[in-house]
Amino acid sequence: MIKQTIWAGALAFAAALLPTGASANPLVTTDWLEKNLTNAKVRVVEVSVEPGQFERGHIPGAQNIVWHTDLVDTVKRDIASQEKFQALVRKLGIDKETTVVLYGDNNNWFAAWGAWIFSVYGLNDNVKLLDGGRKKWELEKRPYDNRIEAVKPSNVTLAAANTKLRARLSDVLGVVNNKSNVTIVDIRSPDEFSGKIFAPPGSQELSVRAGHVPGALNVAWGRAVNPTDGTFKTADELKKLYAEAGIDGSKPIIVYCRIGERSSHTWFLLSKILGYDVRNYDGSWTEYGNSVGVPVTNLAGTVWGGK
Amino acid sequence: MQNHGMAVAVAAAIAVALGGAAFWLYGHGEGAKLSLSIVFGALFGFILQRSRFCFFCMFRDWLDERDPRGMLGLLLALGVGMAGYALIFGAWLPDSSGGRLPPQAFIGPVSVVLVAAGLAFGVGMAISGSCVSAHLYRLGEGSPTAPFALIGTAVGMAFGFLTWNTLYTSVVVAAPAVWLPATLGYAGTLVAGFAVLAVLTGALLRWKNPRLPEPPRSGNVAHAIFIARWPAWVGGLAIGGLATVAYLRVAPLGVTAELGARSRQAAGALGILPSRIEGLDTLRGCVIAVGDALLTPNGLFVISLVLASFAAALVAGQFKPVPPRLAHIVKGLSGGVLLGWGAMTGLGCTVGTLLSGIMAGALSGWVFGAAVFVGIVVAHRRKGWLWRPVAS
Repeated sequence: MIKQTIWAGALAFAAALLPTGASANPLVTTDWLEKNLTNAKVRVVEVSVEPGQFERGHIPGAQNIVWHTDLVDTVKRDIASQEKFQALVRKLGIDKETTVVLYGDNNNWFAAWGAWIFSVYGLNDNVKLLDGGRKKWELEKRPYDNRIEAVKPSNVTLAAANTKLRARLSDVLGVVNNKSNVTIVDIRSPDEFSGKIFAPPGSQELSVRAGHVPGALNVAWGRAVNPTDGTFKTADELKKLYAEAGIDGSKPIIVYCRIGERSSHTWFLLSKILGYDVRNYDGSWTEYGNSVGVPVTNLAGTVWGGK
Repeated sequence: MQNHGMAVAVAAAIAVALGGAAFWLYGHGEGAKLSLSIVFGALFGFILQRSRFCFFCMFRDWLDERDPRGMLGLLLALGVGMAGYALIFGAWLPDSSGGRLPPQAFIGPVSVVLVAAGLAFGVGMAISGSCVSAHLYRLGEGSPTAPFALIGTAVGMAFGFLTWNTLYTSVVVAAPAVWLPATLGYAGTLVAGFAVLAVLTGALLRWKNPRLPEPPRSGNVAHAIFIARWPAWVGGLAIGGLATVAYLRVAPLGVTAELGARSRQAAGALGILPSRIEGLDTLRGCVIAVGDALLTPNGLFVISLVLASFAAALVAGQFKPVPPRLAHIVKGLSGGVLLGWGAMTGLGCTVGTLLSGIMAGALSGWVFGAAVFVGIVVAHRRKGWLWRPVAS
């Protein structure tokens, strides 16, 4: 009895430390965020793709992450090293007690990529997405600010990268060669999946083969989103959507796209909203489709004729 | 336009159309940027036309008449813009030494290629009688040279794309994009910049012609705004202010991005371009965007500039279309090709690389400006050898 009381007390104490309403839910609402902008335990960070967007107006008090330099190794193709990411997180004043709320443009694609990296480096319980990102914030006519607040750096020490959240080419090939019982989810458009096109128009990063990883299931990322405000569909709707495509969480999952960003969006919802066991294959089609000797399914039969 | 009332009515209709388009676009999602581009473009066109803010004319007035007023207006625009940009930068990048560059500011790589671009642009200005922005506002005044200069510019840009890959891989790739605040800080950059402006101002005043004609005084405010030519310093103040708010809300002032994108599209469609333009899409400057969209901020900016200049010229009685003669066509096309090659290779023109670049604390702005000046002086002095001047 005494033990139970102590436990209950400890839990209540832990809950009191957490910002209100942000407990286990991986998403925060625009309403909640606006009420918690001055909460010292909350750090709001924008991860957008369009340059100048953050500077011209961001959620008041937000910090900025530039995804193509801060979150990656700029020389070899890889995510930011533990050392580099730790330096960034320290600069942003984030420690293990901070609730990190990420948001951005383009339906939170790059914010979701950021959330995946935070999770890889052990901040999985800290990181949340602002549901709807910039789109919903603007639709609701909430204010922006263009001043940048100074934050006190932290001295957090991050864990080594959690390999359970990240799939490599060898993992994907292991599945393809029937060595493991895993569902692969291709979140690109149906035309990329079928091999009609190599990449969406305007894409710099290409592969020299069209099609998809054999056995992969195609659920385009956008189907998980309410188009009007960019929010995720409800957990029940998402569960149903993916179950209809044959993804019910009974088996481990690997998600991929073209360069690993959009698939982070699906990774986020499958792993953090639905609680499935999911790895993001950030090498994605630009690695797989350029690899020599790997099996490919190309339904459309498009032949590479690069000049 | 003999009937001034009719001219004013047409100008009012243009103003209403521009305002209406801006108003309509504002409420539509991503339209705020497009809407502001119309407003800023129209203001820029109005200011350029009313103050005759033509870079070449300013240089020429100084070289030929020792009349410093235009140049002083330009220096004032630079000073106001430098202060305005520093205010914005201070909010966006509180620590300028952090290794980041401010977003979208025109901070270009400094190399011999930039010098060559500036020289070509300066010579092109002297031959065609204007830079790109002035040709745009003169289009609205019915200039016989401007249309051909702008066609020449598009052709010259295509040449620029053709030579770009070689220049990029041999020189530009290793050239540093020097942003002065990164080493001097914002205060240091302002002090250094104002010191240079002070020295240039001193030189202009020291050697000015003491017997310059006084501009006619205008009687009332409406006349001063809409009919009489604005003094260059008024134009300079207005452009410095406009440059600051344009950067704050949309992008730095620049007039060649859309022209460059369209030229690249056309040349690409004709199959005369290499399919990959190395590095260009990652460099900061005017001529980087590959235009797919029908309406881009810079496209609307340029269209509004021309329309507003046309409206301003109508009201001022300065819309005087002249049928082009062969000399106008030759001058326009040949000068335009040099302007286009220079603007593409220098990643912008006298507005983007020079004006917006210097305001942003980019070394590339100063280098381009100096090269343009040398190009103008050389070509202007030798004009008797190169071509027969005709009135533009």
